[in-house]
Amino acid sequence: MSAGQFAFFMNLPTLVCLGLVLAYPIGYAAYLSVHRVGLAQLRRGEFPFNEWENYSRVFEDPLFWVAIKNTLVFTAITVTSEIVLAVLIALLINQTSVWTSRLTRFLILLPYAIPPICNGLIWSFLYNFQFGFLNRILFTLGLSDTPINWAGNPDTALYAVTVPYIWRTLPFAIILIHAALQGIPRELYEQAAVDGARAWHRFWHITLPMLRQIIAIILILRTAFAFAVFEEILAITQGGPGDATWVSAWYSYKITFSPPNNFGMGSASAFILAVMIGVIALVYMRVVYRRVTL
Amino acid sequence: MHDDLIGKWELSRRRVLAGAAGLGLAGASGAAFGQGAGPWATPPKSKVDRVNFVVWTYGDIYARISKQFEADWGVKVDSTISSFNDHPTKLATMFAAGEKIDVSQSSPFSFPNFVNQGLAEPIDDLPGAADYIKDFTPFTKQVATIKGKTWGLPYFSAVWVWNYNTELLEKAKLDKPFATYEEFIEHCVKAKKDGVTRYPIMWVAGVGLEQLPGTWYQMTWNKGGMFFDKQGNHMLGAGSIARETLKWWANTFEKGLDIADPESLKVQFVGSAKAFGAGNNLYRGPNHHYTLNVANDPAQSPKAGKIKVLGSPGEGKTMGVTHVYFLSSANRDKDWAWKLLQYLGGKTKDGTYTQAIGLAKDAMLGSGYQSVMNSDAVRLGWAPWGDVPEILKIWDKAAYIGEVCSSVYQPWHFPWTDQLNIEVQKCLTGQITADQCCDNLIKGIADAKRKV
Repeated sequence: MSAGQFAFFMNLPTLVCLGLVLAYPIGYAAYLSVHRVGLAQLRRGEFPFNEWENYSRVFEDPLFWVAIKNTLVFTAITVTSEIVLAVLIALLINQTSVWTSRLTRFLILLPYAIPPICNGLIWSFLYNFQFGFLNRILFTLGLSDTPINWAGNPDTALYAVTVPYIWRTLPFAIILIHAALQGIPRELYEQAAVDGARAWHRFWHITLPMLRQIIAIILILRTAFAFAVFEEILAITQGGPGDATWVSAWYSYKITFSPPNNFGMGSASAFILAVMIGVIALVYMRVVYRRVTL
Repeated sequence: MHDDLIGKWELSRRRVLAGAAGLGLAGASGAAFGQGAGPWATPPKSKVDRVNFVVWTYGDIYARISKQFEADWGVKVDSTISSFNDHPTKLATMFAAGEKIDVSQSSPFSFPNFVNQGLAEPIDDLPGAADYIKDFTPFTKQVATIKGKTWGLPYFSAVWVWNYNTELLEKAKLDKPFATYEEFIEHCVKAKKDGVTRYPIMWVAGVGLEQLPGTWYQMTWNKGGMFFDKQGNHMLGAGSIARETLKWWANTFEKGLDIADPESLKVQFVGSAKAFGAGNNLYRGPNHHYTLNVANDPAQSPKAGKIKVLGSPGEGKTMGVTHVYFLSSANRDKDWAWKLLQYLGGKTKDGTYTQAIGLAKDAMLGSGYQSVMNSDAVRLGWAPWGDVPEILKIWDKAAYIGEVCSSVYQPWHFPWTDQLNIEVQKCLTGQITADQCCDNLIKGIADAKRKV
């Protein structure tokens, strides 16, 4: 058996698994999105073909565009914050001379271990208008004399939902960046120090360029996940107040699973979301990742 | 602490006495209680090893009724129980996936959709159904009858009532609760100005099918308006009572008089009862009557015993609702599914409305059966939590929600309500005016129809 054949057979199980787990649902969603699919049709297994009607209905729905806008704002805030915070925190816990770094390294993982829906519920208690812990802290510190309606005010609700999301997903980025930091050869820093480079210059000219590849990967992964945010929305705001926190995944969920259970239209909206994520990932790959690897 | 213990003991003593009195009357009173042999006592001819139901959660009522069914018939009962908001999703996915579902339940808002999509089967011809139908309350008849057929048995009924906090009323030096909307505003403004409470009114304005929409429907109906007439024409145009009511309502929020608790926009019925029980609000807007069993429960409310029920202004017009259990078209055996449906929404083997009576006594829920509503299960069962004669007086003035908003009979009501929740919350938070809100909702009717 040639090396190429051997490699093919070694990759085959992964390929089959990915095909079943990823490609099949995406393909099935695409199929449903061009058919009329309600509960009765699903039960019977007969789906009348309705061409692009589901897509045109989605595009005509103003709520869909509100959801897209909110998703883009949410993604921009969370991904940017995550990367900046992850770099800062990873640099801190990379300081082996500070003994608390080891403890912090352990504690930093905790939010990642919390199921997303539980995280949402915890934060909905923290944000509670009258009895929430956050308002209590502000009162106690004398920073506010009236409670702030974090998740109930249309002006702040979307930003309020970004915080628990960042809190939960930040450890993932920190771990990756911390691992990358440990892979940077010490000699580079030693040589720079000999040449008289200050801490900021060492960060800017050595650390950051060496981290660009992992940052590009985080950018791709976190953008894809942020686009599909759902649990925090479900637990904290359920899209409200009004449509202030309707995001794309919430839109697809509501269209699909609330009566009249329009699975066709829900699939169309989900497929649009998948295509958007795919396009953004491609742009990242072509612009950021390629530039980094060259 | 001592007072709390005495209070709890008093409560449980009253309930034991009430229960005993109820049991004592069981043999003598009407059709709500055991009637010996009947279709409900006859075993189906077919054989099954199990039956199942898909419902939303409520205490341990389902564990108890399942145990009774298993003991009476020797057939195992499987249950799938989710939260109220997740129930339609759970049911839809199980149905779509081809799973067996014998019995499920529905709010009146989802029910026409479920019937329309073939999830339910009519029950008119099933043994004993005619007796049940004869005993239906008017609310139940309106919910369960679709296209001239009967599709379900009642789960519970409720009417919309107001609540007030007697302690804060006294503190605000008010002799009695409001009797008009003008008085309501006066009281709230005074209570806020005097520092009695920062937010005198807690509304039930959380997103839902009958929470935020229910508050608006109820006040509109009370003021003499409605949302759709019998021909299905909307009544949301310029100068309509619904529109004026929304303007008035929005004015109680931050951008207006700022007397409404901002938490109103998040709370559902039980959540608002818990928040109201904390004692920070003078009034609680129209909501399901039974939540008094939370606001006046010493285990859940610091202000238990101080929360009273209040009818609506003017003639006291209010509205009510009935939720139903139904026989699923995805059942494994129709006769056994019917048997199980009766345990949940009708009579058990002994001929008693076991579930309905239990719900009245344990949870203050109204029944969809006239005989249960007239029984001591209601009169004595509700007494620990509220003024029963007052609530029954309000009940007599209640119309079914379908009269206020006839779109509940239409499959497009559900998606339209999704939009209603969004637009009205935007209005209450000052993002759009009441006029814009109503105009958007008028436009939304056609969109909702297209989504079905």
